[in-house]
Amino acid sequence: MNSRLIKYIILEIIAIIIAIFWLIPLYSMLINGFKTNFEATATPVLFPPKVFTISSYITVWGEMKRPLINSIIIAIPVAFISTIFGEMAAYFFYVTSERMPAVSNTGFSIISLATFIPYQATLLPLIELEASWGLFNSYQGLIFALLIFYMPTAALLMSIFIPVIPKYLIEAARIDKASDWTVFWKVVFPLTIPGFLATMIFVFIESWNNFFMPLVLTSSPSLRLIPVAERAFTGGYGTLYNDSYAAAVIASIVPLVVFIILGRYFIKGLAALGGGAKGV
Amino acid sequence: MAIPTLFFSGVLLYLVAWNIYLSFLNWSLVSRIPKFVGFGTYSYLLHQYFFKIGAMHSAIFSLGLIAIGNPLGIFLAGILYFLPNKFRTLMVSIFLYPLAISMATNGLIWTWLFNLHLGVDYALRLIHLPTIPWLTTPTTTIGALFLVEIWAYTGLAVLFYLASFMGVDKSIIEAARIDKAGGFKILFKILIPNSMNGFIVSTALLFLFSFRLFSLPYVIGGGPTNLNLMTLVTYLYYLFYSEFFSASAATSVIVTVVATAVIIPYALYGIKRWIRRE
Amino acid sequence: MVKVKVKDLTKIFKKGKNIVVANDKISLEVDDGATFGILGESGGGKTTLLRQIAGLEIPTDGYIYFDEKVVSAPNKIIVEPENRNISLVFQNWALYPNMTIYDNIAFPLKNIKMPKSEIDKRVTEISETLNIKQVLKHYPREVSGGQMQRAALARALVKNPKLLLLDEPFSNLDAQIRDSARALVRKIQKELSLTTIIVSHDPADIFSIAEDAGVIVRGKFVQIGNVSELYNNPISETVSKLLGDINTVEGEVKEKAIVIGNLAIPFDKKIDLTEVKVGIRPEDMRISQAEIIKNYVNIGKVKVKVSSYSAGIFKLIVSPISDESIEFSVNSETHIRSGIEAFLFIRPEKMKLFDSNGNRIM
Ligand SMILES: Nc1ncnc2c1ncn2[C@@H]1O[C@H](COP(=O)(O)OP(=O)(O)OP(=O)(O)O)[C@@H](O)[C@H]1O
Ligand SMILES: [Mg+2]
Repeated sequence: MNSRLIKYIILEIIAIIIAIFWLIPLYSMLINGFKTNFEATATPVLFPPKVFTISSYITVWGEMKRPLINSIIIAIPVAFISTIFGEMAAYFFYVTSERMPAVSNTGFSIISLATFIPYQATLLPLIELEASWGLFNSYQGLIFALLIFYMPTAALLMSIFIPVIPKYLIEAARIDKASDWTVFWKVVFPLTIPGFLATMIFVFIESWNNFFMPLVLTSSPSLRLIPVAERAFTGGYGTLYNDSYAAAVIASIVPLVVFIILGRYFIKGLAALGGGAKGV
Repeated sequence: MAIPTLFFSGVLLYLVAWNIYLSFLNWSLVSRIPKFVGFGTYSYLLHQYFFKIGAMHSAIFSLGLIAIGNPLGIFLAGILYFLPNKFRTLMVSIFLYPLAISMATNGLIWTWLFNLHLGVDYALRLIHLPTIPWLTTPTTTIGALFLVEIWAYTGLAVLFYLASFMGVDKSIIEAARIDKAGGFKILFKILIPNSMNGFIVSTALLFLFSFRLFSLPYVIGGGPTNLNLMTLVTYLYYLFYSEFFSASAATSVIVTVVATAVIIPYALYGIKRWIRRE
Repeated sequence: MVKVKVKDLTKIFKKGKNIVVANDKISLEVDDGATFGILGESGGGKTTLLRQIAGLEIPTDGYIYFDEKVVSAPNKIIVEPENRNISLVFQNWALYPNMTIYDNIAFPLKNIKMPKSEIDKRVTEISETLNIKQVLKHYPREVSGGQMQRAALARALVKNPKLLLLDEPFSNLDAQIRDSARALVRKIQKELSLTTIIVSHDPADIFSIAEDAGVIVRGKFVQIGNVSELYNNPISETVSKLLGDINTVEGEVKEKAIVIGNLAIPFDKKIDLTEVKVGIRPEDMRISQAEIIKNYVNIGKVKVKVSSYSAGIFKLIVSPISDESIEFSVNSETHIRSGIEAFLFIRPEKMKLFDSNGNRIM
């Protein structure tokens, strides 16, 4: 066997070992929900169950059903609205980037700020604003708050995806007297569908997983979103229940399935945060 | 067409401005009718013990992640670069999956793994390695959170370094091979020196993601009041719920200023390079 | 140096459902110290062949030998590129952007752990030969295209390779400096009697550097031979075009002549075809008001349509007066205005005839 092949194999083995470490949390989450409560509190987290049972899922399901529906009600519109309007804004910045660099620099800085700012830092004024507009503790209020951050995020990601369209295509359409609206729907949108999907899936997963906003903006249990509901199943610090594992699985199942099936779009979205990262 | 986005961005700027205004008052549980106190709240904050440790932990968690995440990302990307495409894609997905799960859930899973009897310590005992008292001593609690952070965010560094490496012209790598450069030489003399972009992006993103950590310390620490894990972000939350409103706003302003100092240069770098392709 | 032998080399790329046969049973031999050119149209498979010889691409089938030693076999690289003692100059030169020109040139020597003083001596020497001493401290992006190209060449030569591979090394250069760059490569190749294989779609590169050449069309070698043999006796219309400008015009075979509009080329051989393609290179034609030129045959009256000038000669485009859609490109030593009518002359022994599929019949 030649030395190059041996080197490859060594590298693969190192990569696989590290990847196994990376997968331990996922593995332990998946196996422990199938333990009985006694087994969960008495056997090591890393050991698979001796007796498979779905009793904990049945227990948890009743209380997780509503939050699951709530999360769907919130995350889907947030993802969709953010991405459509975000793409429109990105298109605007793209066509103005040469004519008015100052406008696009400022615009891009602001959407970057909204994307990356520690959103927790808006806590106090956000609650005041939502309270004065009567949005506090409502679906609309949650959607509104998430849009403040995720619509600019979508605009940022789409700003990375739109430049794949050659400028001359847009210019040609404009010379043919197409309105911005027509150019957007007939040229820009169809040519950026992969980027659109990447952005939408990214925003969907991010808003699904957002823990802080539902934590601070809702007070009634009927409005709980899934990451908050899940925390109710932990007995505080370090306590082990089979129920909390099952709740964790239910909380992560949607984003995990999306990640497994459409992971390449999510990764594309993540990559766009740093300029695109083509070829990975 | 940009109006909806501009509207929501405007709301954000308005919130930030409101925060600044509130931070100059002395609004709290004890002073219900707020007065303008200038930088009074800020100087009050600077003398708070919680603020100091919050700032320290924020610095540790973000600078620490940059210090470890970057080299680890380079190391893993360096390995993956030389491996076949399909395998590489799978590995990148594995390193990134923590970002697809809520950090609250991630925190929860790790709390079980940190259980002294049944968690990873059980496995360590099994192979006769010293065990770690994870969440029971201050230092190891910080270490534990740090570990989770690395697990959660290093994938980003891997992604961006790998992208930079793959962006290096293939013929340059082949030229290096023909010039008898081995794998290490190619990594250190060619790939890394030509990956400035990967370094800037992953440093900026690692900083920004770790600086706004909330769910992990909240869940692993069992709430916002765990002193060992208090960061500026959990502290401002804590101040808010204990109704030190202006202090919370002032902390928010400090957090915003620090983040903005990184975000704006990063945005300007990005728009030049990725959008205008200069 | 080394003798290179390629036997039945095949490379198939599979991209999803797409299957591209980039090299199809290619065989060739390049003697120790010889130079060989590979010519072909874009996408013909030239680069793929060169990369296989370098060991950067694994053959789907066939063998490559260096001095009778197998270096590549079907689906196997037996000697890795780094152990083949070769140098490859890439089309884009592939200079390391993060290193100065000096470090670029020194890189292969550092990799074999040569002492510093020896490295310095060699780099200085080669950069003097190639006249890039003044830019050694600069980074590749700071120097001109010609200097980059010479730096790439210096990096290739400094390690005393046994085989030099060049992939379109001049195509990114300005026309003015291409000639001197070619001459330089040829000179060094001769001095070192370095076995060299050069790939290009520009016949000028091949003429100035290679003694023998092969023509690749859609992955296959269609003709191999001495370069002037290829030029004068191409086996097909495609090969004739790849080796240089040539007029190919359809003509009717009549008794004692091939007729093109009002033009008639004397022809008394017997062939079965009624239609042929006449191939004739611009330099084998003349145009004149006089009715007779020595060694040339007057084939009839034409009208000058376009007249232009490049690289020391006037280039004319002329048409038979009866048919403006037929065009010949002709060289001329003097300027002739467009619109003028004159006689067209050819050297009959240089004329080539092709059938309608482009195969040479005469
Ligand atoms: N790595 C690859 N994967 C898939 N197809 C390839 C690859 N490399 C080359 N090909 C295909 O093989 C064929 C031959 O390509 P090659 O680069 O050898 O042509 P070439 O003669 O060098 O052309 P050019 O003059 O444009 O450089 C082309 O159809 C090309 O698309
Ligand atoms: Mg080529």
